[in-house]
Amino acid sequence: MNRISKRAFLALLLAVLFAVPAGVILWSHRETTAYYENRTLAERPALTWQSLWDGTFATAFESWFSDHAPGRTTLLEADTAVQMKVLRRPVVNDIVLSADGVLVPFLSYDEYTEQDYAGPAASIAENYGKLNDHVEANGGSFYFVGLPEQRVYFEEKFPDYLNNHETEAQTADALFIQALEDQGVRFLNMEDVYDELGRPEEFYSTVDHHYNYYGAYTAYRSIMETLASDGWDLPVLTEDKIDLVEQPFPYIGSRNRKLYNLWPNTDKAVIGVQKDPVAFTRYDNGELSEKPLFILPEDPAMPTTYNLYMGGDFGETVLETDRPELPDVLIFGDSFTNALETLLYASFDETHILDLRYYTDKSLKDYISDYQPDIVLCVQNDTFYYTTTGNGNVWED
Amino acid sequence: MAFGSMSFLFGFLPLTLLCYFLMPRRWRSGRNLVLLLFSLAFYCWGGVRLLPAFAVSCVGNWAAALLSAPGRRHRKAIYAAAVVLNVLMLGYYKYTGFLLGNLAALGMDVTVPSIALPAGISFFTFQAVAYLTDVYRGTIPAERNLGRVTLFMAFFPQLLQGPILRYGEFGPEILQRRETADEAADGAVRFCFGLAKKVLLADALGQVADGAFSAGDQLTVSLAWLGAVAYTLQLYFDFSGYTDMAIGLGRVFGFHLPENFNYSYISKSASEFWRRWHMTLSFWFRDYVYIPLGGNRCSRGRHLINLLVVWLLTGLWHGSAWNFVLWGLYYAALLVGEKFLWGKALQKLPGLVQHVYALVLIIVGWVLFRSASLTQVGEMVSAMFGAAPGGLWSGESVYYLHQFAWEWAVAVIAAMPVKNWLSSRLEARREAGSTAAAVTLAWGVKLLAFVLLGWSVVRILSTGVQSFLYFQF
Repeated sequence: MNRISKRAFLALLLAVLFAVPAGVILWSHRETTAYYENRTLAERPALTWQSLWDGTFATAFESWFSDHAPGRTTLLEADTAVQMKVLRRPVVNDIVLSADGVLVPFLSYDEYTEQDYAGPAASIAENYGKLNDHVEANGGSFYFVGLPEQRVYFEEKFPDYLNNHETEAQTADALFIQALEDQGVRFLNMEDVYDELGRPEEFYSTVDHHYNYYGAYTAYRSIMETLASDGWDLPVLTEDKIDLVEQPFPYIGSRNRKLYNLWPNTDKAVIGVQKDPVAFTRYDNGELSEKPLFILPEDPAMPTTYNLYMGGDFGETVLETDRPELPDVLIFGDSFTNALETLLYASFDETHILDLRYYTDKSLKDYISDYQPDIVLCVQNDTFYYTTTGNGNVWED
Repeated sequence: MAFGSMSFLFGFLPLTLLCYFLMPRRWRSGRNLVLLLFSLAFYCWGGVRLLPAFAVSCVGNWAAALLSAPGRRHRKAIYAAAVVLNVLMLGYYKYTGFLLGNLAALGMDVTVPSIALPAGISFFTFQAVAYLTDVYRGTIPAERNLGRVTLFMAFFPQLLQGPILRYGEFGPEILQRRETADEAADGAVRFCFGLAKKVLLADALGQVADGAFSAGDQLTVSLAWLGAVAYTLQLYFDFSGYTDMAIGLGRVFGFHLPENFNYSYISKSASEFWRRWHMTLSFWFRDYVYIPLGGNRCSRGRHLINLLVVWLLTGLWHGSAWNFVLWGLYYAALLVGEKFLWGKALQKLPGLVQHVYALVLIIVGWVLFRSASLTQVGEMVSAMFGAAPGGLWSGESVYYLHQFAWEWAVAVIAAMPVKNWLSSRLEARREAGSTAAAVTLAWGVKLLAFVLLGWSVVRILSTGVQSFLYFQF
């Protein structure tokens, strides 16, 4: 029996040893992206003398070989399931599973101090101050809309033994807001707005790093109230003009996605259905676009993501409602703007939206000089306050 | 190339096996040539730039051994020069930065160069010195075939991290060995278990050690101990896992490499620990440094100096930093203490107390070994014994206990000879006629090995290739 088992083991082992490379050779061209990992798969490296000499070929080859192993996604999903359901780890794929039903990211125990933030806060706010002056010089008004990221919104949900960086985040936010106000920038703090309403859990997704549409709608109403108090007479999508409708599709958030959608969640996508819809013409990156405000799957069984709002991130999107009596708005910022855009456009004639991570045609200040918007809204979540690239790059040529 | 990489497991290894076993068994030199070429390719995979130093070492030592053999003229001078050149080469690549860095720290105007360390240089240099010395002593004849000497130094299963081979044991198997399916299966099983030790246990516990050793001001007493114990286990499963893989691969190709570990952490003294840990290195220092210096057959003062030299060199062999020197001297002090001061009293204590004594000393020793500087040695050791900046307990400690609960449990059990105990129990039951025991022994172990291989591969896909700790030495 021992002899048979040894031969059977060897045969099986050899079959696997040869099947894997055969699979890589046969099927490596089939997939170029890893959906659940939200990244592009490595390409087969070119063999050069230099890369062989310095060993970089080996590193690149390993990445390609590993990325294109047959059944890779299935194996990683199975591994995630084992980590979650068999080994019952509190953290899997850098997502905390024991946060009272909410998926939050695992955060390092290292923390930055107040001193670490003080210098950057002042210099970053100085750029926003220059932008504020530039907007005003071009006849507009500038507002910075600050939103808590999901992990900040649900910071109380972290297990006690994990670091939620609550104190650090509060310190960093306070320094940043103070620095902006010192520069004369109007800061709309949505965290305060949500707190006044009791920080309702339904405002934020349990499985995604964004708010959900209820949170976005509350932010929209708060922004419109601020603009009204500043003298802007704008039409508002009040509750009687819009229905917030829950969609049947399963919702995959950025957190659940890292868990291969294995986390049982009841989150549903919500969209705003206007009773008397404001018509618009849409342009994405300068091209006429047929895309609606909400991109929904045809099959109710198909999953949807936060990208349903405006179809995700574009360098530039323009929505024209052909109502010249209304002012124009320029919105720039991170993906928190996407859900807001589906509401804000209804209050303006033209809505220009820039995502500076992807928009490269001209600088923000040149865009403002050329377009001369009446209102400029910067929408950022608080984990991006100290970013100086992408949407934080507001005063570079 | 790392054993725990997809390129090795599903690229290099099947290709080597295919080429090797397609060669007829009777054409031994052909099979050896395949092994040699693939071993050199294995070495070059990390960059062909590593090859020149290795090639010079192979050719130089092959020639020097021929000229150092008994009966050759000037053989003593040639042998001495060859040993010095080996030491100089190791010194240049490994210790130049350390030496010049210390001179710069003393205020001297020197530039500290960045020298790429050829992989495995500490191991292949020691093998070369052992070969030269054995030939010089007349213990073994000089090998005339350059290819065989190169295969001895380059044999890919042990090239980067040992076990440190002796040509007297390896050489005969180059010429005469027998590859069998039974041996290959046993070797493959051992390889799978070794891979699992590295990927599933060592790499996971390494995260705890990394967290503790980088905690800085947040270091607590509990975290310092967790980090130290985690590193103790990580190092064992990392290095003994590699050794299992090396020995397993060796058996697949018909070679029998020496054992390197024997459940080191069940030791009851520091002296016993070193009879169970990295045994081929201990034997090397015994045979090529300690005994030539006079060993213990000399005055007590000379004996102490011999021990000090050996342990200073052992520390320096592991790394070019002061904490490795301190680590070597630490063991010198412990071994001298056990030999001349408290050894007899220790043996009279209950076994459990002896075991705790040895474990605490071993764990503290690994803190010296793992720390990035002498300052960190002080911080970690003082934290372990109460003076931690973060206090007694922290959430981070709780996290590491929760997150790696399985690894802690399995690692502690697997560090003890439970496998041997289980095997002997099953063997006894099988001999008594138990079918269940026979089936478990025949199929259970292989099934477990296969599951562990699959799981390890999935973890490699998930987390990428993690370097072996001893690779840096």
